Amino acid sequence: MNGIDWLVLSVTLAGIILYGLLKSRTSRNLEGYFLSNRSMPWWIVLLSIMGTQASAVTFLSAPGQAFADGMRFVQYYFGLPLAMVVICITFVPLFNRLKVFTAYEFLEQRFDKKTRLLTSFLFLLQRALSTGISIYAPALILSSLFGWEIFYTNIVMGGLLIIYTVSGGARAVAYTQQIQFLIIFGAMFLAGYMVVHLLPSGIGFVDALHIGGKLGKFNIITTGVEDGKFNWNDRYNIWSGIIGGFFLALSYFGTDQSQVGRYLTAQNNTESRLGLLLNGIVKIPMQFFILLIGVLIFSFYQFNGGPISFNSGLVEDVRNSTYADSLSRLEQQYKTISGQKEQAAIAFAQAVKSGKAVEEAQLATQLSALNQQSTEVRDAFKALGKKASSRDTNDTNYVFLSFVKEYLPAGLRGLLVAIIFLAAWGSIAAALNSLAASTVCDFHQQFTGAKTPEQEYQVSRWYTFGWGVFCVLVAEFANQLGQSLIEAVNVLGSLFYGVILGIFLLAFYCKRVGGKAAFWSAVVVELFIVVLFFNEQVSLFSFLPDVSFLWLNAIGALGVVLLGLLLQGVQGKFVQKQATVV
Amino acid sequence: MTEPKEHIPLFKSWKGWYLLVIAFLALLIGIFYWLTKYFA
Repeated sequence: MNGIDWLVLSVTLAGIILYGLLKSRTSRNLEGYFLSNRSMPWWIVLLSIMGTQASAVTFLSAPGQAFADGMRFVQYYFGLPLAMVVICITFVPLFNRLKVFTAYEFLEQRFDKKTRLLTSFLFLLQRALSTGISIYAPALILSSLFGWEIFYTNIVMGGLLIIYTVSGGARAVAYTQQIQFLIIFGAMFLAGYMVVHLLPSGIGFVDALHIGGKLGKFNIITTGVEDGKFNWNDRYNIWSGIIGGFFLALSYFGTDQSQVGRYLTAQNNTESRLGLLLNGIVKIPMQFFILLIGVLIFSFYQFNGGPISFNSGLVEDVRNSTYADSLSRLEQQYKTISGQKEQAAIAFAQAVKSGKAVEEAQLATQLSALNQQSTEVRDAFKALGKKASSRDTNDTNYVFLSFVKEYLPAGLRGLLVAIIFLAAWGSIAAALNSLAASTVCDFHQQFTGAKTPEQEYQVSRWYTFGWGVFCVLVAEFANQLGQSLIEAVNVLGSLFYGVILGIFLLAFYCKRVGGKAAFWSAVVVELFIVVLFFNEQVSLFSFLPDVSFLWLNAIGALGVVLLGLLLQGVQGKFVQKQATVV
Repeated sequence: MTEPKEHIPLFKSWKGWYLLVIAFLALLIGIFYWLTKYFA
């Protein structure tokens, strides 16, 4: 990063903070602070929903994911539009009619206070820890690539946004997300243009797609069927995307206050629904575009030998270790293969253009074999990396920023680093606002006496500030514990989302079930989920099956619904019996 | 208490919007399927 990059980065970040402060004027009461007086039009609701969902890791990981595994990841979002429809039919009219501040407030009206407190507590626990990690994960990548001190990167990533989030609440969050998203998309479009622009002369966008396609990166639709059988371990295919993605999106958009809080800021049902439904329309094309950048970068590196690992910090660690000679040998091998790949890629593109089908097929096979050889050399490097460094050897998340750092011009490089911060700020700001809303409305108000609107407003600001500091501390603490924690805490969501969704499904669709049955089924199933998860790690009980964390969402939701119905049935019979005795 | 009547843009009822979202999803899947086959 040179002076121009630093200037662009500083001006962009400072501009967002100032804009957030300018938009901070709101009514000094809870409705003004947490729901922006329910005044937002649909386009701000839409951008706010999208800005909350798309964190920094979305923009860092997705291109790398396409680079490594192709575009099939886009199928993960196929269930989202269907979930938007269900939420618009069921959740939105109810939340708006009851004028709730938090999704969990509805549970007190439907069940009882203890069910509301339990669900809100599960949300707070999960959201606070995962927000801390969503600060740490991009900070770690930036610090490794640019050699920045992680302690300060965490503070900028998670700390500066506290200024406008505390000051302006939901209104500042929504307005800054709007600007952030426009900057992010402008910059991503420029990055995509630059990848194509930097291809060798005579090689264009469609040629790059042909190369990516022939090397298996344009696998947008996959069925998960291998040798005539459905592979249940295959994570991304059309069926897991539609079914699994539907439940995940239903849970996230319908029951997570960080999202519910966004569409509760809308003027009315119409604006909430339009924001959500348009999110269902634009989300998949957006993800497609981000993944496409990854495929273009993959094709770019067919013509330009890339580094042996995109995590430059890891390469430096190995170079400074006793494995430096082994690294030199691997790098030499990698360079030779890259040279052969470049020649084969140019010949392949020419064969496609001239319509020589036989030659095209032969060159595609040659290119594929050379890529296999590159992968083997990269794997050998990863084995060295594991011995020489504590850093993560999987460099998928580093692909995009490594390209930005090495090939993009000054200024644009700074802008693309800025968008990582902006994406992080958008989702973290919404998370802090929702954490404070749930703490104040679901807990503070319940256990303290009546307060004036001004006092409630001040308390809300302090809770927002407190959660901000807590999340930054989690990020700093995560750094002490090491990188494996990132995955562990990503799993954390699956421990709670299923049970929370189950409680809401009981509330909406099982009218007979009362508070007692809902509460105890949630407690029992949550304990079971935790046991099931830890059993997979340490094998305490051999009779329990090993279950991948992705299935915990479905088990949690279905478990709560079934147990809730069962407990209600037993309770109903018990009450009936007592009535007969009396 | 009666709720104010909603002014739904483009369609007469929300059903139109729901169908639009689902039809757009089906269209995207169709286009993606074609792209997968074409570039494979």
